[in-house]
Amino acid sequence: MAERVGVFVCHCGRNIAGTVDIDSVVEVVGKHPNVVHVEDYKYMCSSPGQELIRRAIKEKKLTSIVVAACSPSLHLETFRSVASDAGLNIYKVEMANIREKNSWVHEDIKAATEKAIRIIWSTINKVVGNKPLEKVRGKVTKRCLVIGGGIAGIQAALDVANNGYEVILVEKSPTIGGRMAQLSETFPTLDCAQCILTPRMAEAARHPKIKIYTLSEVVEVSGSVGNFKVKIRKKPRYVDIDACNLCGECEKVCPQVVIDKEFNRGLTIRKAIYIPFPQAVPSSYVIDEENCLGVKTARCSECVDVCEQDAINLFEEEEILEFDVGAIIVATGYDLYPKEKIPEYGYGRYEDVIDSLQFERLLSSTGPTGGVIRRPSDGKIPKKIAFIQCVGSRDLQHLPYCSRICCMYTAKHAFLYKHLVPDGEAYVFYMDIRAGGKRYEEFIMRVQEEAQVRYIRGRVSKIVQVGDKLVLYATDTITGEQMKLAVDMVVLAMGIVPKTREIAEVLRIPIDENGFLQEVHPKLRPVESPIKGIFLVGVAQGPKDIQDSVSQASAAAAKAIEILSKAEIEKEPIVASVNKDLCTRCEICVNLCPYSAITMTPEGAEVVGVACEGCGVCAAACPVGAITLANYTPHQIIGMIEGALSELRPLRAVR
Amino acid sequence: MQMFRKPPEQRELELKLKLVQREGVRIRRGKVIVIKDRCKECGFCIENCPSGVLVRSEDINAKGYHYPEVVEEPPFKVCINCSFCSLICPEFAIFSIPVEEED
Repeated sequence: MAERVGVFVCHCGRNIAGTVDIDSVVEVVGKHPNVVHVEDYKYMCSSPGQELIRRAIKEKKLTSIVVAACSPSLHLETFRSVASDAGLNIYKVEMANIREKNSWVHEDIKAATEKAIRIIWSTINKVVGNKPLEKVRGKVTKRCLVIGGGIAGIQAALDVANNGYEVILVEKSPTIGGRMAQLSETFPTLDCAQCILTPRMAEAARHPKIKIYTLSEVVEVSGSVGNFKVKIRKKPRYVDIDACNLCGECEKVCPQVVIDKEFNRGLTIRKAIYIPFPQAVPSSYVIDEENCLGVKTARCSECVDVCEQDAINLFEEEEILEFDVGAIIVATGYDLYPKEKIPEYGYGRYEDVIDSLQFERLLSSTGPTGGVIRRPSDGKIPKKIAFIQCVGSRDLQHLPYCSRICCMYTAKHAFLYKHLVPDGEAYVFYMDIRAGGKRYEEFIMRVQEEAQVRYIRGRVSKIVQVGDKLVLYATDTITGEQMKLAVDMVVLAMGIVPKTREIAEVLRIPIDENGFLQEVHPKLRPVESPIKGIFLVGVAQGPKDIQDSVSQASAAAAKAIEILSKAEIEKEPIVASVNKDLCTRCEICVNLCPYSAITMTPEGAEVVGVACEGCGVCAAACPVGAITLANYTPHQIIGMIEGALSELRPLRAVR
Repeated sequence: MQMFRKPPEQRELELKLKLVQREGVRIRRGKVIVIKDRCKECGFCIENCPSGVLVRSEDINAKGYHYPEVVEEPPFKVCINCSFCSLICPEFAIFSIPVEEED
């Protein structure tokens, strides 16, 4: 039976109809040998538009339809469900994108109309070759992997676990808690960060459905939505977390003194056996293998000798753990922009120029100075302090983007400083104050009025140390004055950079030009990665504060639960298949397949349908043409190219 | 561009010393005792001392071997009484004892 194709041309208001002459399109497209019905409508995606398609399919006994409208990523599912209602197989529906690929990018009506016709013609040539297919169904592993144990990861893990699904929480450092654990207070309400975070950490640790793996990294991921297989490398902690009772005797006898660069950012010291902070989860000591004199070679074993619990094992080895999971949530967080890259502010040369996280540690009552602000060089309380905003951020030589959190935390820093040192003077150098959040602007006003912090609009060009003072050279861009300000301490509000490179490579998810993980749609699908079943949370996806990270975490958890709660997962049947009679067993496809979905057998290559994502790389690469992708056969592709490029007689009708 | 270089390691040692003094943490001290005439100059202790305080001596012992000598550079290059030398010495010629620090 010959294919009976119906074409439905959408005006999309003026979006398409403004540049494309719809009447000519309808007239010319109707001349395609397979087309039996052409119709246009103002908004094809609206309810009457859908009804019009449904009726046409039934009345004209259509076997395929082409909807010439917007991008398939927007409405393909809509029109597929319409076709399905009318009894048509959903793989007999194609969309011709004449909006994004045509009307939006052109102005010349005649040329745009001809292009629209060619796009539609090409799509008709494809759809006639489409085979009706059924979705591939598979079981769903009811377990979720959360990568990153900061506040976003913890929140996502708790939300998923509270819905009754198992969660594996993987954290690279020895404790969960992330950056938030380092903070003193949180803006704009000035809650103590530890007080609101540590109960969450403890809840995650206690939760029967959550299993936390610290000092662990995800090293390999294969499979697809519903059935991912992950490999986790668990580095040795050398201390049994269940046996350790935090008596601290090991720390007393440990002979190795180390600068605490991680948690306290170089402001204090720790031993080679240590606990990052008292409320760490898991609540146990850990051995820093870089500095320990006993690990691997058993040179020193002082800690082992004093440990009454026999919790320390200096011979622990790293393990590779394997899990099956149904969904993955990525919350890998951020680092501060490397201070070495901004030499003009003297960080690293001048001890009293510190970064914002160091200042958080100084403010923290559990920090190295017990909550008294003392400058690192001589331990004096600084009476005059300068905060410089946008260090690295919004600077084309460094980070082109706004780090979003610096305006608020600097205001908080200045406010807390004024409370701790009431006779001190605080100056904030800023470019713009970006306080777009609930009660944020009010907080800035409060800092300026109640705490009498002086805000100076201008960039600091350099900092020079003179005696025990730091002299800042700046221009006040409101008065236009050059200014020179001598202060005791400088706090740099460093920009934030995402920690995504490694994980993006492991998960094969794209990152944008600034290193943030790329979401599918910036507005409507902000927590989904292009790979189904992988969700993005927190600063890994874009700069954001605690409030936004937590809301995004709950959003991603809801999305993950949407997958986990299904009994079966449906997968697109657009997969590759091999004609084994043609296969020469060259293995080019095996090496190229990004999803490891092809294996070589003595008879020829074989595609594992569940793992195949239908990218088509193998089909394009096969030197003998043994591999074809369902509904993307060479015949169809050639038909599409002909439709798009050849001199079609009906096109001459366009005037 | 020299001033923009990464801070040298010496700087880190100075910072560590300052922090150690400020925090009032005591770095544990030990004393190395060498039984010279047992040494056969295998060099294991010198190679493996984690604090690097042992060096080959100029002098020789009764059997003609260069035995190890302790050269400390306070405050960091000091014996910390890890007793690794006594563990690795095949001839039981070296050991360390704790030193009670004076305040």
